[in-house]
Amino acid sequence: MSVTAAATVSSQGLSDTRQQGRIGLVDYLVILAQLALLLVLLRQFQIESGAFLRLAMLAFAGFAVHAWLPLSWRLPFFSLLSLAGIGVVMGAENAAWLVGIGLVMIGLCHVPLSFGSRGFLLLGVAGVLALQRAGHLPFPWSDAIWPILGSMFMFRLIVYFYDLRHDKTPATISQSLAYFFMLPNACFPLFPVVDYKTFRRNYFDDDAYRIYQFGIEWMVRGVVHLILYRVVYYYLTLAPHEVSEPAHLTQYLVSNFLLYLRVSGLFHLIIGMLCLFGFRLPETHNRFLLASSFTDFWRRINIYWKEFMQKVFYYPTVFKLRKLGTEKALVIATLYVFLMTWFLHAYQWFWLRGTMLLVVQDVLFWTILGLLVVGNSLYEMKHGRARSLGKPTRGWRDMAVLVAKTYATFWFICVLWSFWTAESLPTWFAMWAALRGDYTIEVLLFPTLILAVIVIGSIPGDSLRNVRASEQSERAWQRGRMATLAGMMFLIGVSVEGVHSQFGRDVGTFVHSLRSGQLSRLDTAKLERGYYESLLSVDRFNSQLWEVYMNKPKNWLDIDNANLKRFVGGFAQTELIPSFAQTTRFGTITINRFGMRDKDYEIEPAADTYRAAVLGASLVMGWGVGDGEAFEALIEDRLNREWSDGTFARFELLNMGVPGHKPPQQLVMMERALEFEPDAIFYVASGREVTRTLDYIAEVVEKRVEIPYEGLTQLLEKANVVPGMDGATVMQRLTPYGREVLAYVYERVVSEARARGAATVWIFLPQVREGSWQEETREAVEIAQSAGFTIINLEDVYRGHDIDDVRLAPWDDHPNAFGHRLIADRLFIGLEAQRDLIFRRADD
Amino acid sequence: MDANIDFTQAVKGYILEEFLPGENPDDLTEDLPLISGGIIDSIATLKLVLHFEERYGIVLEAHEADKEHLDTIRDIAALLASKVR
Repeated sequence: MSVTAAATVSSQGLSDTRQQGRIGLVDYLVILAQLALLLVLLRQFQIESGAFLRLAMLAFAGFAVHAWLPLSWRLPFFSLLSLAGIGVVMGAENAAWLVGIGLVMIGLCHVPLSFGSRGFLLLGVAGVLALQRAGHLPFPWSDAIWPILGSMFMFRLIVYFYDLRHDKTPATISQSLAYFFMLPNACFPLFPVVDYKTFRRNYFDDDAYRIYQFGIEWMVRGVVHLILYRVVYYYLTLAPHEVSEPAHLTQYLVSNFLLYLRVSGLFHLIIGMLCLFGFRLPETHNRFLLASSFTDFWRRINIYWKEFMQKVFYYPTVFKLRKLGTEKALVIATLYVFLMTWFLHAYQWFWLRGTMLLVVQDVLFWTILGLLVVGNSLYEMKHGRARSLGKPTRGWRDMAVLVAKTYATFWFICVLWSFWTAESLPTWFAMWAALRGDYTIEVLLFPTLILAVIVIGSIPGDSLRNVRASEQSERAWQRGRMATLAGMMFLIGVSVEGVHSQFGRDVGTFVHSLRSGQLSRLDTAKLERGYYESLLSVDRFNSQLWEVYMNKPKNWLDIDNANLKRFVGGFAQTELIPSFAQTTRFGTITINRFGMRDKDYEIEPAADTYRAAVLGASLVMGWGVGDGEAFEALIEDRLNREWSDGTFARFELLNMGVPGHKPPQQLVMMERALEFEPDAIFYVASGREVTRTLDYIAEVVEKRVEIPYEGLTQLLEKANVVPGMDGATVMQRLTPYGREVLAYVYERVVSEARARGAATVWIFLPQVREGSWQEETREAVEIAQSAGFTIINLEDVYRGHDIDDVRLAPWDDHPNAFGHRLIADRLFIGLEAQRDLIFRRADD
Repeated sequence: MDANIDFTQAVKGYILEEFLPGENPDDLTEDLPLISGGIIDSIATLKLVLHFEERYGIVLEAHEADKEHLDTIRDIAALLASKVR
């Protein structure tokens, strides 16, 4: 039976089995077996978080019971399971608050007052919650509930209230609870806007077994999307300053857009999980890479959002304005939809993060896309568009035209997307200078790959979508099942170390990297920047970093960087505020009169005292640990305990660390350190030394800060960098000279210190998070060695320890007090090994 | 208004002529999902609504422009019939 013919089966003709949601024992066992495999798959690839795995186990166990319950019990059971899921993920107290607030809002929708009065009451409650979210009113619950509460209610309440007004079928309590607290939501603040009417209408509207099987297919597809996303995220993404030739530009454009696979993957997982409980929800995305026009793109990507906008804004506007004429009404309604999309994007961010988001690229992006969709819509209104029942027939010419249109749309969207996601407009414009770079054969790679995907994707297939599985042809149904099973088996097989390691080290490393969700090298760098500055790009996009940030408490550490540092003139720009003290949740932070987080020392050391100045950034300063807990203080104590009966009676380590400082700023800090007549300079490097050096140079060039080092200015001239140039361009031009710039910094530290008789020690301390952060370590060690430093490389200091035992928090990769003790122990061993070289006087 | 209007045929005829020229009429059955199946989109829905409003002098509401009321020819015909009555 063809799809078209099969789809003609009336919904009124549903079999008894289908209506009662029954499933045979064998089919039930088949579904359970697949769910077990899926659980293994989720675990093997560490899909999303540990919390999601727990939730999946709860959902699959819940399914095992749910499938055998009488139909009338199932919705209440699902509601209870969803509430339990919130408890499992968020803990009992947070769950109780969240459900309590939710019940108040649902209850307000049903109070026996006029619709307008209820709306007014809801707005009042939302207003109070908004004030609390913004921090203007106190609240007794944890910050952690906001993102989930927001994702459950910020859009769904609008749809629910809209449908209450227009839908004649009364809602049951179970339906309302199931709709708002639906199970997967507990783990996913990024959640599709599910239509309430569809949620109710499609409940067990097909053969139960086939709905469940469909759910498994969706979840497996979701996992595939998420794995592909990791390939893009880890291996293909580039920073704008790395785009220096046309091949990079195409890679940047494509990878930037393909990061959206994460959203589509998560939505597939969510909808698939809901299918296990009988909610046969329609597709959330429809092969959006194959959009052949801007209206087509809008229809294919995030379909639930489009339908939400259509229902709540588009149709009401167009129907109200139809007297103006269809075309005028259509234009106004479409522009209104895009205006509201922009606004609701900011509104969404407010509920998730607590701050409003107003960025010029957002406005421009939605305006441009809106205008393009309006133009396309008017064209379609006038000329129509090709539609077909079942499989369309296309000649070669039609096929070529379709491929050309799809290809052009894809690249246009990529460009528009890159504009939208760029950190700033100057950064985006600077990137296009890459077109003047070398045209190598690699420039064809992505255009060719994309063309191949589009050609294959344009081969006609069944065009009818969201057909009930029971109305598909038996062949298509079996094919889908087999593909799902084979896909799961393949991925599980590949994920086994004994299997993927057989294909060589590179393949093994590649597969291994895809098996865990971690931050990419670019996001790791952004995370580091985010400790000390506000990150716009993190604020705006639903990246993994965004999720890490979302969990970060607003008053993390009870102090922000701005309170700890002050701006000063000169090349270093910032220093710690002298004679400052504050108590934080991790202990007291005390800054001495010289602006060091340390005890008070005399400027001139006593004759029998060995003094070393420790240069570095937040790690040295002891970000997130109390006074006396940073490794510098621990080492100093130990030296005084264990070595004070030797050559020196006393040891003093001066903590010169300043959060956010980068290698070039250490030139200034070293000059300051030399005023304290140290016997040694301990330069602490913490990874990505070359990139961080260039970052800082780019910053000072853009800000026109005077660079007082002739060697550096000569390098800038060589790279054709001039004061005031935008940061992205500076980075592009300086990148080929990165090694030379860092070498200059290191050599100057060594030569200046030696001139004052101080030994120079270069200590490498890694970030707690292993991975891309260490990719420049080898080069930095070589540069430090060449410059003449004594090297103590502690790159494996955290090895063998669980990351959560060593770091402050998922959103803050600094070591905690235990991490500092580890560092101190290892550093002591390193110092001891080279004691004669380091602990000596210049005249020895 | 004539209570015996065959809305089903009228809707089917309009959809075939306006959106699916050249398709086999037998494939366009009364229960074929039009909106959820991706055959008619928001622009086509709008054209369809405006056409029948004009043709039968009826007024449809914005909230009726959804899958519940317009997903199949049977649904559309029922909605039109309810308006005409």
